[in-house]
Amino acid sequence: MSPMQKKIRWLHVNLFAKPADALLTLVVVPLLLWAVWAFLSWALTAADWSVVFNSLKVLMTGTFPSSKLWLVWIVAGMIAALAGLATSASIPFGRTAAVIAVLCYLVLVLAIFGAAHIAPQALLVLAAFHAAWLIGLRVPVLRENLAPIAFGTLIAVLVILSPVGPSNWGGLLLSILITLTAALLTIPLGILLAFGRQSKIASLRALCTGYIEVMRSVPLILVVFCIWVAFPLVLPKFPIPDVVRGLIGFTLFYSAYAAEFIRSGLQSVAKGQTEAAESLGLSDFDLKRIVILPQALRVAVPGLVGNILDIFNYAPLVFIIGLTDFLRAGQMILANPENSARTYEIYVFMFLTYFVVGSIITFQARRLEQKLNKGVRK
Amino acid sequence: MKAAQGEPIVQINQLNKFYGNFHVLKEVDLTVTRGEVLVIVGASGSGKSTLIRCVNGLEEYQSGTLEVDGFLMPRAEEREFGEVKGLREIRRGVGMVFQQFNLFPHMTVLQNITLGPMRVRRKSRAEAEENAMRLLDRVGLRDQALKYPGALSGGQQQRVAIARSLAMEPHLMLFDEPTSALDPEMVGEVLDVMRELAREGMTMMIVTHEMGFAREVGDRVIYVDQGRITESGTPAEFFDNPKNERTRTFLSRVLKH
Ligand SMILES: Nc1ncnc2c1ncn2[C@@H]1O[C@H](COP(=O)(O)OP(=O)(O)OP(=O)(O)O)[C@@H](O)[C@H]1O
Ligand SMILES: [Mg+2]
Repeated sequence: MSPMQKKIRWLHVNLFAKPADALLTLVVVPLLLWAVWAFLSWALTAADWSVVFNSLKVLMTGTFPSSKLWLVWIVAGMIAALAGLATSASIPFGRTAAVIAVLCYLVLVLAIFGAAHIAPQALLVLAAFHAAWLIGLRVPVLRENLAPIAFGTLIAVLVILSPVGPSNWGGLLLSILITLTAALLTIPLGILLAFGRQSKIASLRALCTGYIEVMRSVPLILVVFCIWVAFPLVLPKFPIPDVVRGLIGFTLFYSAYAAEFIRSGLQSVAKGQTEAAESLGLSDFDLKRIVILPQALRVAVPGLVGNILDIFNYAPLVFIIGLTDFLRAGQMILANPENSARTYEIYVFMFLTYFVVGSIITFQARRLEQKLNKGVRK
Repeated sequence: MKAAQGEPIVQINQLNKFYGNFHVLKEVDLTVTRGEVLVIVGASGSGKSTLIRCVNGLEEYQSGTLEVDGFLMPRAEEREFGEVKGLREIRRGVGMVFQQFNLFPHMTVLQNITLGPMRVRRKSRAEAEENAMRLLDRVGLRDQALKYPGALSGGQQQRVAIARSLAMEPHLMLFDEPTSALDPEMVGEVLDVMRELAREGMTMMIVTHEMGFAREVGDRVIYVDQGRITESGTPAEFFDNPKNERTRTFLSRVLKH
């Protein structure tokens, strides 16, 4: 088949296989083209992106003091390195990755000459990501111990940011902190709850079941708000920062969902696995940790990733307890009458940011799933 | 090993087991001596699996006694609350091979075999791996050590499962229809491994439908009928001159093909 024939064949199979397909294609493709054209012509001519550049600091960090922004850069570098290490666990550094990397660096270097003041820092953050990716590929110990490293990084990040005071954490920084913390805490809590729900001890079982069911039957916003209200009532002597209370709310709420995903994973592990492990004389703890849990988590990965995406996408709800996350920061910028004509620019930027972060998480998750499934052929 | 031959390793007395109201095992009396190869046959649903699974405590029983290596296996009421002391110690010394292999799919063949010795017997990785390779050699799978179970054929998986049990250095091996899930051309390779084990003096309790193998390798064959042991004898007595009418019907049915 000539290349031309191949192309025609592709068109036929994918777009014009049946009359209905053809009709759909004839309607959808022009519509899409028109939408892209309209968007691009607006983005390149009518839009004024300076509002985004001028508000970048607020969008990214909220009311974080400008003099301490270097702390945020350090944290960004650490999180980038963690992401790089996580990437190395499932994705080799191939040609596509190298091309994308070179392009990113080119853009940033050009930006330096274009006098964007943050380009050098951004360059370093990107470098941290790639360095960690490459190191992770060469040092298996690192990528095999991702969980403890992630916890260590999280604690270090919180310690580094703590001198500034949690009330000043905001913008995308806050969204990412909430996502990272809740994601890391919900999985171990979910594991405990899922095992608790299967426990032989009736009271523990009832407790875990009750907890999971209650959390799953109320809205997130209610849990976050209740936790926020409850702490000062229960512990009037120890004021706990709003951010921490918000994090606790998110963690408690999403643990219940994580527990359900893990529980369905546990149920998918064949009974024979337990019997084989018991026959070897393995302790109950080893049996669960070494034999059952890895197989259950494998099944739970898609659900857990969905959970993390949910956390990220629902992080804006922390506005109810007075916090300013990314979305809220955008709205605050628009509340300034000076910017009222620039609504679209801000929203387009926020949309793209959410889209990019979300896509990265799902892409990584899919690769992880593929990798996990490779060893197991049932 | 030879010195200890003849003394009992498994002693079952008047054992009764129920699933709810269903009486699965009825007043079972059975003694297995060291070095003996006991073959258990019977119709489907007669309780063969249940009996063999009681021996390493995968199933609990309601009354009677079941001793393994002098250890009284706990009854149902003693097992209501979590782990029973001593049960794990006994299990270490009793290997179990399942019809469905039950290898751990997320671990390589080598990891499957070294898990028990390392976590239960507290052996070093080097020692456990060396021993594992020796066992893989023995079952003819040395070159498969780094593969995942999913990449092996059924016969190969079952041989790995046997090696995994042997790695714990058991003094009793239980087999629950080890060849029933295999394609016919793979049955032989698994039976060869078991035959070799028998020759080395391993004590074995084997549930199987392979009558030729039972006759050749077994020291004694018992017939389980609706939860009772109704016939017991040497392979010659059992196959050539069964006393019980139902054994005779059973044999005529299975030996026909
Ligand atoms: N968990 C269970 N709950 C209730 N009944 C069970 C359970 N397991 C087995 N049984 C019943 O107990 C009886 C004996 O089962 P068992 O598996 O021991 O039979 P078997 O002789 O091994 O049969 P097969 O040759 O089919 O493997 C069967 O009637 C079976 O339906
Ligand atoms: Mg059976």
